[in-house]
Amino acid sequence: MNNTFSIQRFGLLLKRQWLEFGKIYLITLAVALGVIITFYSFATWNTIFEQRLFSERLLNFREPLFLIFGFLFITVIASSYFAHLGQKSKAIIDLMIPASTFEKFLTGVLFTAVLSTVSFLVIFYLTDLAFVSKLRSIFHNVDTATSFRDSYGKVVETRDNLAFFFTRNYPKEFTSVFLLTPVFVTSIFLLGSIYFNKFHYIKTAISVMIFSGIWTYIIVKTGQTMFDNKIPINTGNGENISKGLIELGMFSLLLLLTAIFWVITYVRLKEKQV
Amino acid sequence: MIKINNLNFGYRKNQLLFKNMSMQLSTGHIYGLLGKNGAGKSTLLKNIAGLVYADSGSMDVMGYDPSKRQPALLAEICFIPEEFYLPSVKIDAFVKANAGFYPNFDHPYFTALLAEFDIPVAQKLIDMSYGQKKKVIIAFGLATQAKLVIMDEPTNGLDIPSKAQFRKIMASALTDDRCIIISTHQVRDLDNLIDTVIMLDENKVALKASVEEITNKLCFKRVKEIDDKVIYAEPSLAGYNAVLQNFHDEDSKLDLELLFNAVLAEKNKLKPIFN
Amino acid sequence: MEFRDNKAIYLQIAEYVCEHILLGKWKGDEKVPSVREMAVELEVNPNTVMRTYELLQTKNIINNKRGIGFFVDDDAIANVKSYRKAQFMDDELPVVFRNMYLLNIGFDELQDRYNTFVKENFNS
Repeated sequence: MNNTFSIQRFGLLLKRQWLEFGKIYLITLAVALGVIITFYSFATWNTIFEQRLFSERLLNFREPLFLIFGFLFITVIASSYFAHLGQKSKAIIDLMIPASTFEKFLTGVLFTAVLSTVSFLVIFYLTDLAFVSKLRSIFHNVDTATSFRDSYGKVVETRDNLAFFFTRNYPKEFTSVFLLTPVFVTSIFLLGSIYFNKFHYIKTAISVMIFSGIWTYIIVKTGQTMFDNKIPINTGNGENISKGLIELGMFSLLLLLTAIFWVITYVRLKEKQV
Repeated sequence: MIKINNLNFGYRKNQLLFKNMSMQLSTGHIYGLLGKNGAGKSTLLKNIAGLVYADSGSMDVMGYDPSKRQPALLAEICFIPEEFYLPSVKIDAFVKANAGFYPNFDHPYFTALLAEFDIPVAQKLIDMSYGQKKKVIIAFGLATQAKLVIMDEPTNGLDIPSKAQFRKIMASALTDDRCIIISTHQVRDLDNLIDTVIMLDENKVALKASVEEITNKLCFKRVKEIDDKVIYAEPSLAGYNAVLQNFHDEDSKLDLELLFNAVLAEKNKLKPIFN
Repeated sequence: MEFRDNKAIYLQIAEYVCEHILLGKWKGDEKVPSVREMAVELEVNPNTVMRTYELLQTKNIINNKRGIGFFVDDDAIANVKSYRKAQFMDDELPVVFRNMYLLNIGFDELQDRYNTFVKENFNS
């Protein structure tokens, strides 16, 4: 028997964890869906049902809703995943399940980093699709996305001001960084869920604030001591560093941090005693 | 089956619960683990199951180190904790989710055990009483066919008929390749069920002996008055219930409670007898 | 089965088996319950029952047919009686003698009592 990873055991564990975790997960997902639909309904009610004029500002709520609520959703899921290990009675049953620590950890990563992000994107996409399609069917005149050359030969794009959320906001640059961000965020909260025995969410949030505060302070301070009263010589060379390189740097940093948080989580799970 | 060698364990440093504890347990026995509150019964069981890690010393369970929590070993351990939590699902959903981890899980046996325990199969686990839930996890644990069965206070919360059912089930669960360890302070529930007594006191194993060995060496009987042959005695209606050294090959019935108190009170007199 | 307080469990189980044989419930060459069945019925450790069966084997009350199980010996009744007799002589008689001595009871007095008892209980 392979004592580190077996695909058959991993499958069993996913099924079992779904039985344990699925209920909380689905409830949270339902709440998220409810909130998103509520926001869309409030914003578009008058326009759809009372034939008021459409204004582009109408849909401006989408970006903050997506960011704030998306963050809340994935962090709540992540910080509840290992939370029950803080309770003796639940932890014993869980630790005695004949699956390896690695499999148990991997299940956690799959549920938090992958499943929660994907499912949030899906419900947001579907809600957006439904409401915006309705609006587009009412206001045909805004449904135009054309490009033409003006008299100087330059390409001009007319903006579609009733675009779907993901059409408008798809990150054209730094795509990899955007994709990694939710994984990074969940890795922090997953660690918090096993690190603390109670009040996982709030404790993790506070820790993150304190840490990022300290880091910002250190970086600002070192920057000041290193660069204060010094003159930059090769001004204007910033453009030399390509965007691709910056993206690679940011991606690597996020990946490194994510990996570190995951390793600590794995070790905590391995060392967990009840 | 289990080899414990110079185990040192403490929840806090400088405050050891076990000091250089060594012990071997083998298959084909039901061990009764006794000790005062706080003597470390549950902790020893958790050490064996790999739920807590020793500070030093070695622990070998069926050739594995339990602290590594390898699936191959976990599939051979049935651990019934004193406090436990079961999800709010029905029994068949619970079995579907968990039985797959145990290659030898015996479904007909599980059904038979539930019937023996009078468990309403259609009810959700969360709506069951503590005793019913306990019976479900005992039935599940035994049906996994695990070689090592560890039970922490299994009769707590069981009603009187359930205790009798439990004794019957445990009597039939003991096979030659199985090792069963039961911790308890309700000795009356189990005294005919265990064949070897392990008593913990003062950071170590105060006594580990089979019932046969104990009754060969000691004699439990009522005496009218206490003389110097009596190791330990408690007053009763007709004189005293006494523990004596068994010089004349007398056959007596082991009185676990009396033995327990004797070990706590007269360590020095008993030690040479059992070594 | 209710166990008494003062006698080793394995001996009480031996008595239980002997009783069944004397009362004719288990006859010569019949199979006796397996160790496991007996342990379950009496709610005791199977090793204890095994100890009983080993004892009864040495007394030729039951015998072990390899691979099949334990059977009542053909001479079981006679052997039970001699086993019981030995037990009576060794364990119970000394107590009676002690009381006879302490209370000055003569053998003649006892003889009369014994005859009446047999007449009342067994010769009716």
